[in-house]
Amino acid sequence: MTRNFSMLPLLLVIVLVSLPLMVMYGFLVLDTFTDAPPGELWPDRFTLRHWRFLFDPTEVGNVWAASFNSLVLACSMMAIVLSVSTTAAYAISRLHLPFRRFFLAGILVMHGFPAVTLIIGVFFVLNLTGLYDTMIGVILVKGSLMLPFGIWIMKGFYDAVPWEIEMAGVQDGAGRFTVWWRLILPQVRPGLVALGVFAFLDGWGEYVLPRILAPSSDIQVLSVFLNELIAGDQLGYDFNLFKSVGLFYTLPVILLYLIFQNRLMNIFGGGTKG
Amino acid sequence: MSSSAEATGGVARAARHPSTDRPHRQIAAARPRISLFGALLLAPALILLTCFFLAPAVLTAVFAFTDMSTSTGIGKGQYVVTPNLLRELADAGLSDEVAEAVSVETYTVDDAGLEAAEAGGVDGRFLKNIADRLNGETYTAAREFERALRGLPDAPRSPRELKLAAEHFGQSVLNQRFDTSEELSATLAEVAPNVSEETRDRIVASSYTGAVWTTENFHTLATQRETARLVANTFLFVSATLGFFNLSLGLFLAIVLFYMPKPVNSVFSTLWLLPRITPVVLYAIMWKWFTWEGGFLPVLAEQVGLPSFNYMKGSVVTAWITMIMVNGFIGASFGLILFSGALRAIPVQQLWASEVDGATRWQQVRRIILPQLRWPILFVTAYQTLSLLSAYEQIWLTTNGGPGKTTTVWALEAFRTALSNYSGNLEYGLGAAMALVLVIVGLTLSILYLLLFRFGELVSKPRIEF
Repeated sequence: MTRNFSMLPLLLVIVLVSLPLMVMYGFLVLDTFTDAPPGELWPDRFTLRHWRFLFDPTEVGNVWAASFNSLVLACSMMAIVLSVSTTAAYAISRLHLPFRRFFLAGILVMHGFPAVTLIIGVFFVLNLTGLYDTMIGVILVKGSLMLPFGIWIMKGFYDAVPWEIEMAGVQDGAGRFTVWWRLILPQVRPGLVALGVFAFLDGWGEYVLPRILAPSSDIQVLSVFLNELIAGDQLGYDFNLFKSVGLFYTLPVILLYLIFQNRLMNIFGGGTKG
Repeated sequence: MSSSAEATGGVARAARHPSTDRPHRQIAAARPRISLFGALLLAPALILLTCFFLAPAVLTAVFAFTDMSTSTGIGKGQYVVTPNLLRELADAGLSDEVAEAVSVETYTVDDAGLEAAEAGGVDGRFLKNIADRLNGETYTAAREFERALRGLPDAPRSPRELKLAAEHFGQSVLNQRFDTSEELSATLAEVAPNVSEETRDRIVASSYTGAVWTTENFHTLATQRETARLVANTFLFVSATLGFFNLSLGLFLAIVLFYMPKPVNSVFSTLWLLPRITPVVLYAIMWKWFTWEGGFLPVLAEQVGLPSFNYMKGSVVTAWITMIMVNGFIGASFGLILFSGALRAIPVQQLWASEVDGATRWQQVRRIILPQLRWPILFVTAYQTLSLLSAYEQIWLTTNGGPGKTTTVWALEAFRTALSNYSGNLEYGLGAAMALVLVIVGLTLSILYLLLFRFGELVSKPRIEF
């Protein structure tokens, strides 16, 4: 396209609009290894003391235990979302089931439906089933709430697989299960990877569910741990320390995102965040 | 339902094994196999969705009609007559004689009392005396029983010790927990036989500690003045965030970046994606650092001589701006991603052709791009209205509805009423009633959107049916 307009003013506007983000994320990284004199914004010396929390539990508490809990939550949730949506989506995409249309409509409504409004109801369910204040309860809830999204995404990937592949498998005498497991699943691997990463990130970043449904401190996840730091007054407002813990917490997210960037973008549009 | 398809499956299977005899039996055998496979694949999803999606929605609706709270507990309650309850009932017109009759304490020497006394550390010899001489006796007044105890050979000297020992044998209906109303009613009849049945039923009914059915929650919501403010706040929050950020800013960024060179495009796309992928707690902390006193903006404002205070919580106007920006920066990336995708789908020849005809960029945007973005814009509006209506996580972590309740939206108030407040009494019933409103609005809107965005095409039948 020709350049029949000047880009500079627009670029300036964009920079101006993005300035809060640039400042926040710039200082997020910068503040973790520098110190600024009180009342000043710009740091004047380099320091690594904000990262001491990694091996000194007296600083903020045991960050590794919280990381482990977060990892358990994220991985278990990923396993649930992957296995359950892969199977259910295949059934919906390929098999002629009773009530298929109804079920699909239900999935779509649930996908659009803001699941956060259900937290009070979920609280009742966990209390009545005795899963309140357990990690398993949080994992099941978090995984289930993501299922409509997962099933919908995987259905899209299944729909794109040419049905001749399946036909050929059946012709050669393979059962439906073998066809699905050996022929179709490899075809939807990009979808599996994207959904898996997405589920992991979702579980890793989750705050409300573990905070409300599992308040015990021994199963505290990293997000709750981080928020307790700033909520608890004993530390004062040492934002450089909070940011270091926060950056440590976010590193896996950034890494995963960098690795799987292109695959994630395909399904990011369907996310349910505000 | 799908018998035809299953039958076809059976025929297909039978056709592949022509050597097997009696094809109709094959059909009969194949029918459960195919649906079993489908059912097996679907079962886990169905179970999980029922337990953690449908059941919560149903329970929200059910418990919205109860007065469940921390004090009633979740699940079945018990029947307890407490001194407080009697006082309340007396205020409501219960006669003093009845209250006294109900709260009377009797002393019976039996195994339970002896055990309690032993556990309470009463002297062993004294206990043996009691067991030998007074077993089975019942006293209606404390003084009488204590006199009887004092007469025993190994009785302790101090009146206080005697009194303590006597207490172990005391029995009163007060503060006792009964699982059913019949048990309490029977005990009351025993303790206070003179009290009329009507009065007894009244005491029993009001002694229930569990939640009871009521429409009080909806009455409260409909009459309290707070409701109007919550609705107004929610409306302002959703429309401002959606209008300024999710739609306007998202659209603006998408179109401008569309015309920018690739490196600029990818830098800003990534930058605007960051709020979406940053864990919400860290995102909130960054905003706190940005707006709290001692943080970025207040320090900057102080250096240039502007009013400097905690912008997130210090004044109503700045709190609102902060709250909208916190949510808007996440929302803008949603619009950006969706609109960018839609822009790339526009055939570039149309843009070339318009330039040959001498169109300016503005004309290009106005006449070619915007008309083709109609559906994405509608979709973002629809989808984000719903998620903003129910959004409270970011608000909870930043302004938390303050200062006062000026930035409290409906979803946040429901959440705080039921699950997270400082007063300690969580009103599950009222919170569920508030959530029910959201659930109904959410359900209605999502079904409407489903119809709007051509549901028929989305759920078309699978191509393979065998």
